[in-house]
Amino acid sequence: MIIKLGLSALLVSSTLFATSDMSKWIRPNEVPQPKDNKLTKERIELGKLLYFDKRLSANEKVSCATCHHPKRGWTDLVPVSKAVGAGRGPRNSPTVLNTAYLRKLFWDGRAKSLEQQALGPIEADVEMNMPLEELIPKLQKIQGYVKLFNKAYPNEGGINNKTLAKAIASFERTVLSTTAPFDKYAMGDKKAISKKALKGYELFIGKAHCADCHDKFNFTDGSFHNIGLKDGDLQGKDLGRYNLKRRAAWYGVFKTPTLRDITKSGPYFHDGSVKTLTEAATICASGGRYKNGVKNKSTYIVDRHLTQTEISQIVAFMKTLTGPDMKLDIPTKFPQ
Amino acid sequence: MKKIATMLVIAGALSVTLSAKNWVVDQKGKTFIPSKLTVHVGDTITFKNSDPFAHNAYTDDEANEFDVGMQPTGKETHMKINSKESFNVECAIHPNMLLEVTVE
Ligand SMILES: [Cu+2]
Repeated sequence: MIIKLGLSALLVSSTLFATSDMSKWIRPNEVPQPKDNKLTKERIELGKLLYFDKRLSANEKVSCATCHHPKRGWTDLVPVSKAVGAGRGPRNSPTVLNTAYLRKLFWDGRAKSLEQQALGPIEADVEMNMPLEELIPKLQKIQGYVKLFNKAYPNEGGINNKTLAKAIASFERTVLSTTAPFDKYAMGDKKAISKKALKGYELFIGKAHCADCHDKFNFTDGSFHNIGLKDGDLQGKDLGRYNLKRRAAWYGVFKTPTLRDITKSGPYFHDGSVKTLTEAATICASGGRYKNGVKNKSTYIVDRHLTQTEISQIVAFMKTLTGPDMKLDIPTKFPQ
Repeated sequence: MKKIATMLVIAGALSVTLSAKNWVVDQKGKTFIPSKLTVHVGDTITFKNSDPFAHNAYTDDEANEFDVGMQPTGKETHMKINSKESFNVECAIHPNMLLEVTVE
């Protein structure tokens, strides 16, 4: 199934801009889909129901959407999420927007696909706290879901861990950014962004080196960095990707997030410790919150000697990466 | 008889060494160039870095496991193919970089 990418995206063929320096910002023609989980209407619709269904959590009060809500930038607008029970997760809820384009999911990149990612939060005690051994039989008793799973995934054994993950991933794959002012600019409408934002763009790709990591259509190159948010050697703190394996390059590193719709998804960074884009840009372009003594600080995080005016220009540019919310009918009735 | 066997072993070892090849893979524009390689056991791969920033090639594949560590601009690193298992190399900093190595 081809996902509709919006009129403006369809009108511009990618080859048209192949030689222009704007080409890398243009949306890819296709949304990546795994061979064994191609998008179909049935799969997307089923995934959407599951995504918003609170019965997937232990106390039936929390769904995927609780911490990744379409009206809250596909996040939850708090530093770290409160979920089932009194606990809070250790990290800021990352946006679902454009995750279809990512090859590593979660702040530490521990999942290699949306299918791998989808079941993690359901079982996590600080999120939905619902063991799959309990959830699968529970869903199997809901006749409406049995029918929908059989339609969406015929001959895949009905409702099981795999089909559940595939369905949720299918919906998440359709959560895509819309045409933002900067997209119009990149496609030739030179009046689509202000002079201030254009100055910011020049800094973004030049002096400030933002695009070294926030690169291409999704404004991330999928790289992992320690940007010096915490002091010293992180003893007893969140070690990020290093938790997966004790690899020197992974000490205290986290995923470079997309900047698409970034105005909708604060607070920022993996620990949600930054409220404004001005502060976020300042930290990244001035050598980190902590300048010295940070073990494995990224070589990209150095002082770019920006003025306050320049920072405000970069922020003005980042604001042009926000488009209207995608069209979405949030389900209110669920299978019985 | 034992002597001949020993000589055969040495000859065999020599022929392996002589035919072992070194493959050069550059890291440029956050891409491995080439992105696909077909190699033999005993071959080596030299990783170059033509980007203005560091890379860190590694594989988690058990049989050929290696991690060249932080590799700044201009520095070269090497790995040897020890096992007949094919594997993928990624960059620990930029995991969108992918090199598929087929071992024959
Ligand atoms: Cu790299």
